[in-house]
Amino acid sequence: MMETPRKYLRFSAGQRLDHWFMMLSFTVLSLTGVPQKFAGSEWAEAAIALMGGIEAVRIIHRVAATVMMIGAVFHMVGVAYRVLVLRQRLSMLPVPKDLIDMIDAIRYNLGLAVRRPLLDRFSYEEKLEYWAVIWGTGLMILTGFMLWNPIATARFVPGEFIPAAKAAHGGEAILAILSILTWHVYNVHIKHFNRSIFTGFLTRAEMEHEHPLELARIESGREIVVDREVKRRRERVFVPLATVFSLVLLAGIYFFITFEETAIATVPKEKIVVYAPLTPTPMRIVRRPLPTTRPASVMGTPRPGTTPPAAATPTPIPSFNAAILPVFEAKCTACHSTGQDLMLTNYQRTMQGGPSGPIVVPGKPSDSLLVQKMQGIHPVKTTPQELEQIIAWIAGGAPNN
Amino acid sequence: MALGPEIQPLSVLCTSVRKLFPRLPWLCLFMALVLGLLVAEPGVAAPQEPAPLPQGGVENEVCLRCHTSPGLTAELPSGEELILYIDPNTFDESAHGRQGQRCTACHTNITGYPHPPLFARDRRDYNLGMYPLCRQCHGDKYAQTLDSMHAKALAGGDRSAAICTDCHGAHDVSDPAFPRAKISNTCAKCHSAIFNDYKESIHGAALLEESNPDVPTCIDCHGVHRMQDPRAPAFRAHSPEMCGNCHADRARMARYGISVDVFTTYVADFHGTTVELFEKLEPNQPTNKAVCYDCHGIHNIKQVTDREATVIKENLLATCRKCHPDATANFPASWTSHYQPSPAHYPVVYYVNLFYQLFIPSVVGFFVSFIIVDAGRRFVDRRRKSKAPWEH
Repeated sequence: MMETPRKYLRFSAGQRLDHWFMMLSFTVLSLTGVPQKFAGSEWAEAAIALMGGIEAVRIIHRVAATVMMIGAVFHMVGVAYRVLVLRQRLSMLPVPKDLIDMIDAIRYNLGLAVRRPLLDRFSYEEKLEYWAVIWGTGLMILTGFMLWNPIATARFVPGEFIPAAKAAHGGEAILAILSILTWHVYNVHIKHFNRSIFTGFLTRAEMEHEHPLELARIESGREIVVDREVKRRRERVFVPLATVFSLVLLAGIYFFITFEETAIATVPKEKIVVYAPLTPTPMRIVRRPLPTTRPASVMGTPRPGTTPPAAATPTPIPSFNAAILPVFEAKCTACHSTGQDLMLTNYQRTMQGGPSGPIVVPGKPSDSLLVQKMQGIHPVKTTPQELEQIIAWIAGGAPNN
Repeated sequence: MALGPEIQPLSVLCTSVRKLFPRLPWLCLFMALVLGLLVAEPGVAAPQEPAPLPQGGVENEVCLRCHTSPGLTAELPSGEELILYIDPNTFDESAHGRQGQRCTACHTNITGYPHPPLFARDRRDYNLGMYPLCRQCHGDKYAQTLDSMHAKALAGGDRSAAICTDCHGAHDVSDPAFPRAKISNTCAKCHSAIFNDYKESIHGAALLEESNPDVPTCIDCHGVHRMQDPRAPAFRAHSPEMCGNCHADRARMARYGISVDVFTTYVADFHGTTVELFEKLEPNQPTNKAVCYDCHGIHNIKQVTDREATVIKENLLATCRKCHPDATANFPASWTSHYQPSPAHYPVVYYVNLFYQLFIPSVVGFFVSFIIVDAGRRFVDRRRKSKAPWEH
């Protein structure tokens, strides 16, 4: 690898893995986050529906956030390894030259300078993007924690910070996505498709063009190369420390995602008495007073509390023609006077009865259908006085008198 | 704490993103409303369609010859009396009486005397047997009731579930929505406990005491004829739009000085965003995110300035705790109380938004202008030299 390399190692396997972590989680977070931010619009609804509904989208978003945080821990350990074990230069730290480079680049682009600035391992463009990612990720983790754990957050800061965190989370997301779509896409896809983050290597021509200062340093032998034995010795200290550090941060992530039960799973149902009928509506009905006593002969046994009628004086049998037939003519013959049905037009037809058989059983008023009907269901009723006459007439043998 | 009518003027820059889809949801809602009004059932207030007068049957005088005798009753097997007396004035004044309907229009099984035997075991049985006859003229309404909670309860064996005549009456049918309070009083016949809550509420008091035409009666929320189970997820998911129908109505709210931002601010927040998505995408799935009535109350909604209001500042934490049992004193302020963030209300949120509204265009604007210039220069360079060195 080191013998007159046609290729120059730019990103180690660990750094390439960093990028995979970031690229995948960022993409998923964007796809699930942006529709949440614009949930009112139709395209966002369609996207959310496509991903299985809002609760599913939130779960995916949080899984991706967890992956991104794990990636962040991995990145920190990797940086620490390169700085503490490999003792690489802090090539990503911004230096005044970056600002000068950027100004020079603009001047060149505008035709105010004759050549582009010569760039080192990480150009101002790359540092800008890297530190934007660092800043953005930190802010997203912080505001994400606040949104994920609003109850805990409100213990320490005013409640208003939670909607503010939501605003910042959304704003920062849009900024990050637009930055990726402009700055990142232009610099590593359009300007020149730079595959080194996947392959790990740059060609000599790419090095010459994009990182001439780094190339010069490599070729002059000024690049730091750590002795194998020294490296091993440092790793013996680094690995346990890094393990503890990672475990603490991973525990932090676990704490982050399981910290609180923000809300109960099902809203408590309010206890409502649904069916509580009012007392029955009084009906507008004109009722005549019911007879307080009924003839004992009909009822068989006298009702408790009612005085049995005095049986001492035998009442004369009412006359059919004088007392009963006039009642029939007044109350009954409007209907019962034609056809094959019951006809109450004279004594013979009365005794003959109707389709239900005879209506008068002489001597037995309670067995007589006529009496039963007048006491039960019948559209037209006799008065109690009239009924008493009928009962007395039947009790007396229902004569044709 | 009152949501006054003041509407914070949105920052000019505020809508840079939202401008992409500014009024689409409202337009949709409006269209749906218009469409709904066009196709919806005319409702109780609409005049009854003239029912065809019966051709056959028996003249009412024939029936009334017997059925006006006071105390005319039949004893049913249960021991109850079925009252067979009709007050002719009551019927004549009823909607059907004024149309000149015949008794036999409803009592279709009666063609003369003697009448066919009564099969009803008790009075309820009689009513349950009779009410399907309303379908003869009111088939559309009858069909709607078949979808209702009442019909389901009835099918489930609950004989007290409301049928046509329980609400509309039988011989004394009249305009069910006049006066307007009659609507809720009708429901109160069976739902008196709910009615007692309602009559104390801002809506109920206004209806019953002032005959206010703007406040909802029972049926404005629950529907009429086709009333659905209000415990169903779909009802819950739809409920914010239901409240929004009135509370986002500028003209109606202007009469009471109530903010019309309540719906949009709700939808902009976590709860509302979720519920709206459930309503649109999976209305039959339950959601635990709060809807209007989880905070404001259901039938006992109080004015937000009322000391008893569940959402007044003093009561808000207790209200939050119904779903967020661990919430502490700061927590309620995480909800922006239906305010659009402004320098006066929720300034931190307002300034964070403002920051990004300025910062995003600045940064992206810088990137884009840098890129345009850079790409232009590279294009020119490439035309001059033949090719970039690494491109062989």
